[in-house]
Amino acid sequence: MTKLIQTIVDGLGVGSTYALLALGISLIFGVMHLVNFAHGELITVGAYTSYFFFLHGGSWWWMPIAIIGSAVLASVATELIAFRWVRNSSPFTLLLTSFALERLSHAFWQIAVSPKQRAFPKPAWVFNQFKIASVSFEVMDVVTIVVTALTLLLTAVIFKRTLFGISVRGAAEDFDAARLMGVRANRVISGAFAFAGVLAGVAATLILMRSPAAEPSMGSDWLLKAVIAAVIGGLGSFSGAVIGGLVLGLLETLTRAYLPEVAVGWDKFSTAIVFVLIAVFFVVRPDGIFRVSHAERV
Amino acid sequence: MTGFNAGLVRLTRSMVASAALVAIVAALAMAYTSGGGASRDSLVSEMLSNFILVLGMQLFIGNTGVLSFGHMAFAQIAAYSTAVVGIPLVAKAKALPDIPFGLETVHYGPLGATLFAIVVTVVIGGIFGIAVSRASGLAPTMITLAALFVVEQLVKNWKELTRGAGGLSGIPRLEGNGWLWGGALLALVIAHFFQETRIGRFAIATREDELAAPALGIRLFSSRWAAWTVSMGLIALGGSLRAQSLGSVNPKQFTLDSGILILVMLVVGGMRSISGAVLGTVLITAGNELFRQLGDPQRLDIERFPDLFLGGTMLLVMLLRPGGLLGDRDLAGWLRRLTYRRPPATGETPQQGVSTLVAAEIEVRFGGFVALDGAGLTVRPGEVIGLIGPNGAGKTTLFNVITGIVQEQGGRVTLGDQDLTESKPVDIARAGLARTFQNLRLFKNLSVRENVALTALVAARHRSHRVRPDADTLLADAGLTEWADRQAGTLDYGNQRRLELARAAALAPDFLLLDEPTSGMSDQESLAMVESVRSVAARVGAGVLVIDHDLGFITRISDHIVVLNEGRILAEGTPAEVRSNPLVAAAYLGSSA
Amino acid sequence: MTHMLEVDNITTRYGAITALHDASLEVHAGELVALVGPNGAGKTTLLNTVAGLLRPATGSVRFDGNDITGTEPARLVRAGLALVPEHRRIFKDLTVEENLRLGGSTASVADRRERLDEAAELFPVLRAKWTTSAGFLSGGEAQQLAVARALMSNPRLLLLDEPTLGLAPTMVDVVFDLLLRLRAQGRTLLVVEQNATRALGIADRGYLLRTGRVIATGTGPELAADASLFDSFIGGEA
Repeated sequence: MTKLIQTIVDGLGVGSTYALLALGISLIFGVMHLVNFAHGELITVGAYTSYFFFLHGGSWWWMPIAIIGSAVLASVATELIAFRWVRNSSPFTLLLTSFALERLSHAFWQIAVSPKQRAFPKPAWVFNQFKIASVSFEVMDVVTIVVTALTLLLTAVIFKRTLFGISVRGAAEDFDAARLMGVRANRVISGAFAFAGVLAGVAATLILMRSPAAEPSMGSDWLLKAVIAAVIGGLGSFSGAVIGGLVLGLLETLTRAYLPEVAVGWDKFSTAIVFVLIAVFFVVRPDGIFRVSHAERV
Repeated sequence: MTGFNAGLVRLTRSMVASAALVAIVAALAMAYTSGGGASRDSLVSEMLSNFILVLGMQLFIGNTGVLSFGHMAFAQIAAYSTAVVGIPLVAKAKALPDIPFGLETVHYGPLGATLFAIVVTVVIGGIFGIAVSRASGLAPTMITLAALFVVEQLVKNWKELTRGAGGLSGIPRLEGNGWLWGGALLALVIAHFFQETRIGRFAIATREDELAAPALGIRLFSSRWAAWTVSMGLIALGGSLRAQSLGSVNPKQFTLDSGILILVMLVVGGMRSISGAVLGTVLITAGNELFRQLGDPQRLDIERFPDLFLGGTMLLVMLLRPGGLLGDRDLAGWLRRLTYRRPPATGETPQQGVSTLVAAEIEVRFGGFVALDGAGLTVRPGEVIGLIGPNGAGKTTLFNVITGIVQEQGGRVTLGDQDLTESKPVDIARAGLARTFQNLRLFKNLSVRENVALTALVAARHRSHRVRPDADTLLADAGLTEWADRQAGTLDYGNQRRLELARAAALAPDFLLLDEPTSGMSDQESLAMVESVRSVAARVGAGVLVIDHDLGFITRISDHIVVLNEGRILAEGTPAEVRSNPLVAAAYLGSSA
Repeated sequence: MTHMLEVDNITTRYGAITALHDASLEVHAGELVALVGPNGAGKTTLLNTVAGLLRPATGSVRFDGNDITGTEPARLVRAGLALVPEHRRIFKDLTVEENLRLGGSTASVADRRERLDEAAELFPVLRAKWTTSAGFLSGGEAQQLAVARALMSNPRLLLLDEPTLGLAPTMVDVVFDLLLRLRAQGRTLLVVEQNATRALGIADRGYLLRTGRVIATGTGPELAADASLFDSFIGGEA
């Protein structure tokens, strides 16, 4: 029981980071049908921003703001520099454009800073533990889950209550109809990129508190998992992205924890098994958990 | 015998195109290596193994239009397969003491190891390909991404077989670049020939339009799976030869990053064109090397500049030429057009179909909206039936039900004694119903003739009991002869409509189902369309069911008109009867309540 | 009478298709103008071009005397021109209230609140389903939502594309009543309607389109009685 609770907390910790990133990916897919492979680079931007500020006397008290701010700027910049010019191209072209940006980002950090990892200090309390009824928790796990929950709650409120949120949801469903309501195309797309930047910035903060180091290609692994989570949830579905992220995180930690009990010595293959399961899932439900209809007349 | 001869012609054509491309690349390589030492030779080896990997990806991605991230995973399987049978027994016993599957006693030479790697990869990849080919939309791409993770984990953790992160060395190295040149030539011939085969051309059709291809009798799964599996063979060849040319394998050789390098080569050159893939490989390998030399190897920044080059090149190509540098220009395609000879006319007289098409009591609801409420119609062999009705009456929905694109909640569709109610679009097309689409779904990047010839290929297999005119005869009937070699997407609108008609007729169907063949045409063009439809339908002896809003057109062409309104049959009869029916006038103009 | 909308010789293409050839029309302030014609005549293309969703290849569109050719819809909404598009295109994942708020996205917060109240008053069916997802509305309710949503920007010129398409006969009556009420409020209306006889019956003036061209125009009753109307729908000489 103790082990199960700890595993689930672990899983939610990893999964919530996936969820934040997947939500950003799904959001951008919703408004412009782009699967944004450059989204993970926002984590890298946040990491180098922290590294820079810590070189000049930074503190974790205000670092989250710097990380989130830099991620937002970078996200909006990618749209202005690249995606705006291919907005009406095929999804294939859009996807490859985001890939090109990902490469360029790697190159930029390698040239501007170094191909080597650059570390900076972590908050002192990160790996502290505390106990509730004989179950011990890591402070950071709880922080991760709470911060993610609050961020998602705030996101839900913004999507539900504000005109910006309603515009984004409307544009994701029917872009031209939203334009007819007076929604400005450029503004809603920039807004979606900014918002995705905030979500990625929060995710980056949580990731960097745990492993405070910047490396040119650090965003890629997170990105791939987040894309898979977003597609599991159904691209364009916002609640789907969150669920997809949590499911992926739980699946990873649960298989790692319990596989050895099922088959001795198989724990090292847990990731492989997770992804076989995911492949099978896509065969059964190619549109993900929540099918988002893109009606097409024939 | 003629089939065999035609196959020989295609093979020869593939070999000529391949030899020409290899000759060009060899000339470039010779010019480059003549001045310099071993490092230049090794760059050529790297380029050649890239070459084979690019062709492997081109064969799947270029022909099916499905993006794959997973190909490098299978190159990795091939490289490790090569290692576990290629490393001499003594060295292997030391490196992999617990190797499973009885591999401790197996040792093959270069050819044997390569073949072993190809067989293993094709079998594993082929099974995996079933999943990739069954899914649609983005799912296949995600499945290939999952494959990358699975193989990466297996390679890192299945230490008995792979020795984990350290990798395996001691694979006997190939002498010189002879093997690689041979491999590149072989890969080119296979890639070219695949595009000449029936299944390869079907794959291309599914790339061009995922919905139109099945509606013309082309099965998505089999063509995709075939492309995937053959591409596994090429990828395995590339992976195995790379391992043998380097003498070692490790998990870092075939990562997503290296896959992206290969993808950039393909995309920059133009993924639909094999010549483009070759051009991309040469350009990117050379550019990558050039930018690598900008870095200082002492300072670990040797990797900095290539990424800049790759990202920058890809971004520029996407912004300026999303189809790649060559787009659809292809040496093999040019040869194909050059050597095209029209087959001799068979002189067979058209035969009329014998089956009657019946749709009865069809009911379709979308959510709460009733689109069809018991509508039905009958079309007898050779008959032309016009289907009209106001906007939203359910005409296109009825077409979609008959052709299997929409599933009805009630009713039956039969063709002669075949029940098509539950059949899929592809089987319905093969049974003898060929359709066109309201919003034109041509194979836009293919030539006009190729559009028609593709369906004729389906007919050759599945409609062999009917008289099947060749593509040029149908193009002549549709008035498209002078455009035969043009890219279909560049035709003007009226000609695109006529091409859809000819393409559907090439299936030698019992019935042609035409959805608004004159929409967007002027009155004169519509008038001309009457003749086109008549002569094309007569050529294949097909009956016609046609939806149109142009009543002048419908009146001229139809033997009989059926009027649909609010999902039900409102009236039917001769054109004159329908015209004078007050119910019809009310349905169209609205009652003045 | 002033010209509120002047469409001058516009030609609009979709790729290779020319959907409108040199079409011209005008709408005066306070008028209800009906645009009728068989399917594929270019009616929807004309409305979409006026509303800024499509850009004409040649010709110009003027609204209140200002050239608005190819202007983004968002700016036209602010200028007082709104379109209720074909097939309604309400946001099915949004609630009724959210649809309306989005419709009023260009208004000030106070105006938006006021108009929400007006909408609730004008459309009792919608008030009853205020927090329901619009995807659950019936066809008639959805059509009323589409109109109410467009009214949220308080347009002076309202374009409606096939507002009765797919509606039950009683709902068609409701929509026609609504059109009359809107005119009584002083709004200017340009309506594409397949129920041609009835639309022309209430319209001040009408235009008949066929294969992308305006082929007849006149007052509502004149056009309703015109032989070319029947011919263009049911076919010319047989």
